[in-house]
Amino acid sequence: MFKPRAIEAYRRDEKLGHQMLTPEERIRLLKPYLPSPPLHPSEQANKRAMENEQRLGVRRFLKRQWHLFVFIVIHFFFSLYIRIRQAYHQVVNKISSVYHHHHRAPDLIYNDVKDLRRLPKHLSVVLTLDEDARGGTGLAKLIEEASDIAAWCASARIPQLSIYEKTGTLKGYLPRVHRSMTQKLAAYFGPNTPGVGIRAPHCPSIETAPTLAASRIENDGLKHLSVMILSAEDGRDSIVDLTKTLADMSQRGKISTSDITIELVDAELSESVMGEPDLLLLFGPRVELVGYPPWQVRLTEISHVQDNEGVNYQVFYRGLLKYAGAQMRWGR
Amino acid sequence: MSDLYLSRIRNWFIRSPPAEWIINGLRETLIGALKQGPIPRHVAFVMDGNRRYARSHKIETIEGHHLGFEALARVLEICYKCGVEVVTVYAFSIENFNRPKYEVDGLMQLAKVKLEQLIQHGELLERYGASVRVLGERDLLSDDVLEVIDRAVSTTKNNKKCILNICFPYTSREEMTTAIRSTVEEYSKSSAPKSTPFSQTRITQKIMSKQGDKSENSESGDASSHTPTESDDNEDSMSSTTTLYPDSPSRVSKDGSSNNVTIYPNAENITAETIDKHMYTADCPPLDIFVRTSGVERLSDFMLWQCHQDTQMFFLKCFWPEFDLWHFIPVLLEWQWRQKKKAMEEVGSRQRVKTA
Repeated sequence: MFKPRAIEAYRRDEKLGHQMLTPEERIRLLKPYLPSPPLHPSEQANKRAMENEQRLGVRRFLKRQWHLFVFIVIHFFFSLYIRIRQAYHQVVNKISSVYHHHHRAPDLIYNDVKDLRRLPKHLSVVLTLDEDARGGTGLAKLIEEASDIAAWCASARIPQLSIYEKTGTLKGYLPRVHRSMTQKLAAYFGPNTPGVGIRAPHCPSIETAPTLAASRIENDGLKHLSVMILSAEDGRDSIVDLTKTLADMSQRGKISTSDITIELVDAELSESVMGEPDLLLLFGPRVELVGYPPWQVRLTEISHVQDNEGVNYQVFYRGLLKYAGAQMRWGR
Repeated sequence: MSDLYLSRIRNWFIRSPPAEWIINGLRETLIGALKQGPIPRHVAFVMDGNRRYARSHKIETIEGHHLGFEALARVLEICYKCGVEVVTVYAFSIENFNRPKYEVDGLMQLAKVKLEQLIQHGELLERYGASVRVLGERDLLSDDVLEVIDRAVSTTKNNKKCILNICFPYTSREEMTTAIRSTVEEYSKSSAPKSTPFSQTRITQKIMSKQGDKSENSESGDASSHTPTESDDNEDSMSSTTTLYPDSPSRVSKDGSSNNVTIYPNAENITAETIDKHMYTADCPPLDIFVRTSGVERLSDFMLWQCHQDTQMFFLKCFWPEFDLWHFIPVLLEWQWRQKKKAMEEVGSRQRVKTA
């Protein structure tokens, strides 16, 4: 921590284009804040250090004990604070989820978002598989969550959704996910159900056409929702695979290394995986990307609700609000 | 009016020697205390909000950047005292070249002057044991700035205790592309023959002569004569032409003389670690904490490769020039708390595995 006087001198010097102070004076300004210089190996210094060692040893020990004590106290209060904060957020989230419930009605969801300044065209979510859950319950829950989010997206008229799940479990059950999503959409929309296409990188897409009523031109709702399922192997591994391919091509003399540009890599990765999402929703309590494709996340707005645990409409709604730069409204 | 008086009285109070002494003591104690827990090894900062800070305080933009530099010095001091090994800061994005020219020039000037001062006081950094590195696209910088950067980097390169990475014209996509390019370059260089008792060339020639006329096919670059390997991690490959030759990585060069055999390292051996080694941050420990100030919740093309796994991200509301120990402590505490929780969860899951 610099003394205000030193800061003032520094700023005055800076204003004058560093003409005021000579390098020596600047050093003098800094001297009191510097760590002690590395010990010189000369005998005398060594001897004195030895003498000091015992006295300093006790002092250092006491200082350490004091710091340890402060550390424990701080962490005690901090974990208390976090527990209170978590409890508080849980209550607030519960209240607001009662207040802002979607009631499985597309119109209500659309009402929530229709006045927003902008909506993401491509929404991305990170889901986690509960590996401790017994039997297939973890998978069933995951599919249920994915279908819920798909239904909210379709209601908010967001045409593109990508679902990231680290382990890639969802990828193995594409038909099941697809079935669950179409059922969910039918339950939400009834006769106006939009079509849904679901795919994973390097997997063929499974499509359903929109119902007749939904595909009519005068219908202004969403006609088709495209869903992309991603996993950790679409992140770093896809970049590694691209590098392998490029290395192979370069070995055969098909490309020169100067051909490898940002545009080329971007084109390849968005072709084989996906483009950049506009908004990324995290349903966990902290901001951690758990292996989400790094290339695509460049300018993506990242949204999470503090201390939230699990998928719910609140996170979705607040993420959209934040994306539009809007405030939470407590009345509809 | 009363507000003004209050702030003056507060300033006078903070500046009074006893208050100063207490605050300093408090800072030292807090840092010393935090050091008792786990300490992140690598922290990255996006120094965002200098311009907005300047606008909200009605000062010149460049003035805001100067205050931002002071905040950086403060943060570095804190990190140094805590024992953080590597600090990476986002000083200038390639995109920032689109800003008004006087601002870009001002920033360049700021960087140049600061680095020059650093060189003048080279022995100070020795005391810290800190080395400075500048990461980014060097070609975009003017020669005079480059020269200063090179001198600063070379005067401090022998300091081993901690590292300051300054990302100066940097974007993460550029970094990743460069890493891919240099990996490809490495793998397209014919490797020097290894000192084994067997000559690879001889073996290849023998295989070639056995295959007889088949070898002529390979001149045309046709892959069909070779059996493509069943590669287990190939589901994700980008293109359909990824048939590789792990068994016979040699290829007949274009001029057709079969004696002139170039041996390439096997491209299938490229892993994430290989690319990692070609990143600007190759020898730095993994990124533990990512801090972005000014309330924007985006990565903005910074450290994408490094932070997309288990880095904890913190988006803070304050502007960068305001950033101080008081903003950093909650971040550090929360990180330590989660570290503790993670360790406990790991122990728990291990026990569950044991009982199962």
